[in-house]
Amino acid sequence: MKEIYLDCMYEVCPIPLIKASKELKKMEIGDLLIMKTDHNCSITNVIEWVEKQKLKMDYVEIDEGEWEIYIEKT
Amino acid sequence: MRVYQKVFKNPWSYMIGGGILALLNILLLAATGTPWRVTGGFFYWGIWLLETFGVMVNTDISGVYDGLGPSETLLFNTVSILNLSVILGAMLSALSSNEFKRRKIKNKKQLIVGISGGFLMGYGARISFGCNVGSVFSGIPSFSLHGWIFWIFLTIGAYIGAKILMKYLL
Repeated sequence: MKEIYLDCMYEVCPIPLIKASKELKKMEIGDLLIMKTDHNCSITNVIEWVEKQKLKMDYVEIDEGEWEIYIEKT
Repeated sequence: MRVYQKVFKNPWSYMIGGGILALLNILLLAATGTPWRVTGGFFYWGIWLLETFGVMVNTDISGVYDGLGPSETLLFNTVSILNLSVILGAMLSALSSNEFKRRKIKNKKQLIVGISGGFLMGYGARISFGCNVGSVFSGIPSFSLHGWIFWIFLTIGAYIGAKILMKYLL
């Protein structure tokens, strides 16, 4: 199980989502994708997209207006 | 605490957001006689800037002053007040959810792409007499056909833009 870190700071929609979907394609089952973003729309649209893909995910606000999203490839 | 979370912190659903926007646009139309638009304000500011630097704008052809009321100027008019209020409102919303943050520029590429994208948007909004707010959001409820045409081509443009973004920019 690998951990892949994806820096999406200072980037706006839909770039974080596209970056994540590209990265997820390259990953293997069981790998964890960690995205860091400061764009709150990304929280909404990444969650929506991940739920549609039926992947496991979670997110935390690590600082004011900064989040880490964790997505596991299943 | 739960009310605070619900109202200020969590994003509102598209239905609620869209409903509030529609209601506010109706109120705006009733109060000022013009629905919501955005880029018109930048157009007036652009003309003000050009005129300040001595460039004469042919206002007869472009019909600049048709859209301005008797007490409105190029700098202070309904559209520019709306634009400033949007920024103020967004700031209040960010502050009340504790998410206010100064965003840095990531790299040179983001800067260049941002400037060229902004230029194209501004130019496009001008030659088509409005942006997605003025043409789609306010145009379609005004029963204007141009709103639908604008919307169709906006979708085609966004599709091509997304393809270019995926292929060359990411």
